[in-house]
Formats: sequence, structure tokens, C-alpha cells
Amino acid sequence: MNAIANLSPDFSRRGFLGVSGVLVLGACLPSRGMLGQEHQASPFEPNLLLAISSDGTVRVTCHRSEMGQGIRTAIAQVVADELDADWARVEVAQAPGDVKYGDQNTDGSISILLNYERLRTAGASARLMLRQAAAKRWAVDVEDVRAVHHEVIDADGKRRLGYGELATDAALLPVPIGAPLKSEAEHRYIGKPVVHVDAEAITRGQSHFGADCSLPNMATAIIVRCPWLGGGVRAIRNKPSNAPGLVAIEILPPAPSAGPLFAPLGGVAVVAEDTWTAIKIARSLEIEWTNSPNHGFNSKALQESLREAVMKPGTPVPGSGKGDVDAVFAKGGNEVSAIYETPFLAHAPMEPPVAIADVSEKGAFVRAPLQDPQSARGLIASYLGMALEKVEVTLTLLGGAFGRKSKPDFALEAVELSKRLARPVRVQWLREDDIRHDYYHAPSVQHHRAIIDNQGMPQAWLQRTAFPSITTVFAAQAQAPAPFELEQGFSNLPYAVDHQRMESTGIRPGVRVGWLRSVCNVFHGFSANVFADEMAAAAGRDAIEHRLAMLPTGGKLNQPGMPAPAGHELDFARLREVIERVRKLSQWQRPRPEGVGLGFAVHQSFRSYVATVLEASMVNGRPHISNAYVVLDCGTYVNPDSCIAQMQGAVVFGLSLALHGSIDMEDGAVVQSNFHDYPVLRIAEAPATKVELVPAQGRLPAGVGEPGVPPVAPALVNALFAASGVRYRSLPVTA
Amino acid sequence: MAYTLKINEQLVEVDAASDTPLLWVLRDHLGLTGSKYGCGSGYCGSCTVHMDGSAVRSCQLPISSLDGRAITTIESLDKQHPQLIGAWVRENVAQCGYCQAGQLMSAAALLNASAHPTDQEIDAAMTGNICRCGTYVRIRSAIHHAAAERTSTGASE
Repeated sequence: MNAIANLSPDFSRRGFLGVSGVLVLGACLPSRGMLGQEHQASPFEPNLLLAISSDGTVRVTCHRSEMGQGIRTAIAQVVADELDADWARVEVAQAPGDVKYGDQNTDGSISILLNYERLRTAGASARLMLRQAAAKRWAVDVEDVRAVHHEVIDADGKRRLGYGELATDAALLPVPIGAPLKSEAEHRYIGKPVVHVDAEAITRGQSHFGADCSLPNMATAIIVRCPWLGGGVRAIRNKPSNAPGLVAIEILPPAPSAGPLFAPLGGVAVVAEDTWTAIKIARSLEIEWTNSPNHGFNSKALQESLREAVMKPGTPVPGSGKGDVDAVFAKGGNEVSAIYETPFLAHAPMEPPVAIADVSEKGAFVRAPLQDPQSARGLIASYLGMALEKVEVTLTLLGGAFGRKSKPDFALEAVELSKRLARPVRVQWLREDDIRHDYYHAPSVQHHRAIIDNQGMPQAWLQRTAFPSITTVFAAQAQAPAPFELEQGFSNLPYAVDHQRMESTGIRPGVRVGWLRSVCNVFHGFSANVFADEMAAAAGRDAIEHRLAMLPTGGKLNQPGMPAPAGHELDFARLREVIERVRKLSQWQRPRPEGVGLGFAVHQSFRSYVATVLEASMVNGRPHISNAYVVLDCGTYVNPDSCIAQMQGAVVFGLSLALHGSIDMEDGAVVQSNFHDYPVLRIAEAPATKVELVPAQGRLPAGVGEPGVPPVAPALVNALFAASGVRYRSLPVTA
Repeated sequence: MAYTLKINEQLVEVDAASDTPLLWVLRDHLGLTGSKYGCGSGYCGSCTVHMDGSAVRSCQLPISSLDGRAITTIESLDKQHPQLIGAWVRENVAQCGYCQAGQLMSAAALLNASAHPTDQEIDAAMTGNICRCGTYVRIRSAIHHAAAERTSTGASE
């Protein structure tokens, strides 16, 4: 058995793909050290996530999707650490979608939190079993043997056996319960910077993303979709009957406006032997579409409705009413009031959606960049009416996702076409398809209103939010924001106020909405942080001094609405600490040149605490960001270099949406189409970025991928105010 | 129609329509999948390759325009720029990695033209390459490191 097949035994059992299919698929397996390494079948597999073969190769199976956050590396770090393995002999395999792995939904910045203890236990159990196997062979007590760096050593240090040499014996032992875990000080890889396991292959152009794998006899499909949601095909005016390379032109029925879950949008699929032929024919088609209620959708009108909504009472967050807001407002005083607006956004990962499917009566095989291969598997099985066991969903690396690839509609398109054409099909979304048919980040409007004292402290604070809820994608009747959306920076506002009320309103949109990196924290973190800055400015106070004064000095937030999970309540001391640290890191008190301003924002999301300071000025009428300072407290971290990278990337992602991002719909159709009219940040706009991690090993691990984003846009707006005296309350900043 | 192309120092025969962009020739016809499709319009740089040593967008170059040209792709970049590959890995530049082949090809063309680029020169040369993950600060750093190493090993002389 070659190394490639060995890495994914499931492939080798897929007889219907044939031998060449296995090799092609195997070549697509992103794996560390897979090239040129032959080793025996794994005899020692104490659990799903770890196997040791007799040549000593340790194979860690990553059951979460890799989209750049470094999870394949982090999972291997944790397992290898507790196993005390030699990092050079660790390789990483990628799990298919299967309920046996537990939660695989790579979403919500939660992979390490969900799996940290489980991964440690996996490594520690195997380590103990290797010691037991050695002790048995040497006929000594297990307490008298140590397992260190891929070897088990006896008490005298004279006898040594490699992990590989013990694998067969260890495999015969029962998996122990309560294997000892290492102490903090003993950690070899956890908490240490490690280069990502895929870095070398990526850098040499050898890694595989969704479009990089092929199956024998595979065709490629480009789908022309109706510009408005829910429209179907009335006629194709110029359907070519025969063109070189054309395989088929297939009409796919339109998706309903809401549910069933992640149904494909429908349209006209042009299937060809190669991508360019499919693109050319798809672009040449003249298609008449049927109408749908969404044809009249206009994002400007929606924005106007959201603005109107926040001027009226909304639905109070249960338990959010404190004191008597109305009485304080009636009495009057120094009032600060502002409206904040954010637009629709597209995810625009560099890899547009793409999927490969091979469907026959024998089963369905799907290979795609998916954030949740397990739920995709279930959806595909139910879409086909096929038993779950006959559906195999495997992953490539994800060429960016940011939430887009948690929706497997593009995989269902490939499944449908492969079934119809009885051959493997790759569905490739063009960039224009990606920008025009996304699950968009919802637009929003917030209204904040407060009466402040002469120190800028809010005596009464009313906040209202209005946005289309993600739940509108799931149910035709859904309208109101869900508690899980309000809990993202709205109902968990951390500031101490005697008189407070929180209200929300939802409006159904005429497009699909979906979660984008940090989700509702993006706009709630934006408005709350800018409003806090406005209160400080109104009182003439330093923004950080003012913010610290608004926060309780200790304890946990008892938030209304949806409560935080036990152990993850917002901790005021930790929030204060990231603020204090970013003040120091940014040299906040150091005077900047005339026209250069500092802006501060802080936000807790995904159980992590991030404080950000941006240094900005207006240059030739456009914002110029010279420096970014970020402090992250994510609890226990596995790979500090990945954490730093995520904060650096979050600054760029946050500035993209603060400076450029806006998607508009007219007559149901998205106006933008590619990076020329939906620009994202380019290198010249990226500030030098300093990141500091709060040493927090031992605390519960928390999110890293998303929480860096929310403070960026408000820090920019606050910096521009400090620099120029102009307050930008709508995103993107259009100076 | 049949074309003879010079790709990574090798002559290859490709039968494709005359307007087929080099990107799809590489990916679909030659199985060289390191160059990526990102926008199809020359905006994002994910498909960047070298033509006669200069960085070009392969999605914008029809196969019919490549006669007599020498094309280099990411798959053979290490022959000319091992320092760049090494710096990219050591700096852990890539996040998702999808844009990085294009980033590396643009960085290599920059180093061919300027042995020790400043941050401003880097920004100017790399502005056509989008990274949605936001690895820009590490790209700058890795280019500086690679430039220094090329000088110390005499590779850029």
C-alpha cells in the first residue's frame, strides 16, 4: 500500500472510482510529508484522531476545515505535544465528513475550544499505552519508564524503544482512562510558534484547493444564475446545439426564497470538457428569466427602512430594561445621539466556490472546500434520497471562506449535474458569480442615544439595532433578529449604565444573507465603539480613560437576552487588561504629528478580548492608516504565531470593509461584479501591525479567527475623528 | 488548434482554442494547478506567472500570443528563487494560501528587477496581488529577508 492510499484508507475502498481515481484523489490529499514516504499500514490507532505506524510515523487526523487559520497545525501540535512526538515525524490527514468525528462545523472560531481537552487526551492516552507496551516488554513497572520525544526509555536510560517499534504491541492494549496530561511547563509544542504544516506545499504551488483535483472523465460546469433570487429560466434564446467541447446545457430549477437549507440557486449550467469552453458559452447565452417577488428588491430602499426602524421603538431584548430611560431623556441634559450604518458585504474569498461530484447508483463522492463536510454530507444524502453511508464528502484546503463555505449550495449543484450527466462534474463559480450570488453579510442601522454627565458618563443609554436576520434564509416567515445575533455585541454591551434599554427590529431582505467573519459583531462593535468615542469627545475626555471609567472594575457581565455559556461570561478585568495593554503598546500618550490621529476600540467576541488602536490621517482626501496595534486575550493559545497572523489579517479584513466594502442591489440584481467595483484592501493600504498576546495559558481557550475584526472599523473612524475632526458614521468611509 | 509552448524550460504541445487564456491552458491542459483562478479579469493577481522574466496575469494572455515566449510558473520558481521560497515558509506567510503562488511570482519579478526593494517599491510591485486573508505585512517582511539572503549567497549578483 502506498503512502498516499494509506493516508486515507477510505479512498482505496472506493472501487467504483477505479485505480486511477484513487491515485488522482490521493494526490489531492493535503498532507505533511506525504511525498516519498512509504510506510506500513497503521497498526496502532487508539482513537479516530491519531495513528502510529510501525515506522514511527504519527498521523494526526484533522477533522476541522483548514481555511488559513492554521487549524491543521494546531490540532497536530496539541496531539503531538501530549504524545511527546518528534514534530518532524508527524503528518496530518484530513477527515471526511462523518458524524463519528463529532462536530465538524468550522465556524464560530470554536475549533480549539471544542477540542482542546479531547486532543490532549488522545495524545496522552497513546503515550501511556506506548509506555505500558515498553514496560511489558521489559517486564518493569510502567511508572519506571518514560516516553520522551518519540522514544520510551527505561529508568536507567539504557533501554530505548522508538514509538514505531512499540506501535504493534500498544495496539493490543485497552485504551486507558485518565491518562496523565502534561503540565504547562512540560509543553513542547502547545503555546509555541510553529510554521504551518501546509506552508511548504502552498509555497511551492503543490497544495490542493477545490479546483485543483480532477477525476477521470470529469467535465466542468459554469452556471449562469438569475440576477434576482428565485427567478427561473423562461427561455434560452441562442442555445448552441453543438459546439466543440460542449457536453450539455442543463436547466436547473430555481431555489425558493427560503429553505430548504442551502438549496442551489438554479440557472443554466453549461457543461464542457474544459473550463474555458464552458466560460465562453456561458457568457454568450441570452437567457430570459421568470419573475419572482425578489425582482423588485432594492438595497437602498431596505437601508431606508432600516433607518426608519431605528427611529421607532423596536422589540426590547428580554431583561434589557434597566431603570427608566424615558424619564431621564424627558428630564433632558447633555444628549449625544447618532445613527450608524453598514452595507451589505460579500465574502469574496480568493477561491470562489467550487466543488467536484461523482454521483452514480453506487454512491456519491464529493470533494470540495467546505466548512462543514458533515452537514454537507447529510444535505447531499437527503437531496439525492440516498443512504448516508453511500455519500462520501472529502475536503481540500479552503482558499479562504470567511463563512461563505459553510453553505454547501455549490456542492449540491455539482451533485445534481453529475447525477444528470452520469459522469464526474466540477462546478466552478466565476468571481462574478461569487460577488452576485453570495449569502451576503447583512446591512444594518443602529441608533444610539444617551444623556451624559460632564465626565461623559452615560446616565441613560438607549440602543436600537435593525438588520435582516440570518434566520430569513432558513424560514419564509422569519423576520426578527435572533438572540444569537443580538448577543454579538448588542445585548452584551459591557458598560455600566443605570438607565438602559436595548431594542431590535428585523426586516426581510430580497437576497440570501449569511454569516461573515465576526457576523453581527461587525456592525454592533462598530456602532458601540464609535458612540463611546462620541461620548468621550462630547465631554472632552481621553477616549481610553473614558472607556475604562465606563467599565466595572471587576466581576462578570450579567447580560440580558441570550446568556453567555458557563465559564465564558464577559470578564471585566480581562476587558480592562487588553485596553491597558494596547494603550501601552500604541504609546497612546505619545503626541503624533499634526493631522495624525489615534483611534481606539475594544470588543469581546467569540469569548476573546481584543483591543485595537489605529494611527491614521487623511492624505489627498483619503484615509491613510500608518500603524495598527492589537492586543488579544484568547485564553490558552496553541500557536502564538497563528494568533498573531489572524490579528494581522483581521486588521486587513476590517479595513477592507471599513474603506471599501459595499454591495448594492437594484431590481433584485447585485450591481457589483468583481474586484474593480468590490475592492478589497491591497498591500499599499495595509498598515504596519504590532500584535501582543495576553499570556493566558491555563484559561479556557477561546476564538482567534474572528474576534480581531470588530474593533478595526470603529478604531479607524475614531482615528479619523482625532486626525481631522470629521466623524464618519456610515461604512464604508467615503471621504 | 495546436500550439507549442515553452513552459518551465520545457516545450509542450497543447491543442486548444486560440483565445484560451494561458491560465486555463496551464490548469486544464497541462495539469499545472499552482496558478490560481481568482477573478478572470486581471484584478487579483492569483494567476501571476512570468513571461520572459516579467510578471504577467495568465488569465489575460491568450494561447495564440505566446509564440516564442518563455513561461515560468510557481512549480519551477524554486530553481531561480529558493531564497524566496525559504523566506515565505520561515515567515509563515501563507494563511489560506490560495493567492500565494501569484504573490511569490510577483515578488520574484520584483527581486529580478530590484535586489533590495524598499517597502514603497514592494507596495508598488505587489499592488496587483490581492490577499483576502491579509498576509501583506508578512509578504513585505519575507521579501526583505529573501533579498538579504540572495545578496549574502551571491544569488542576485
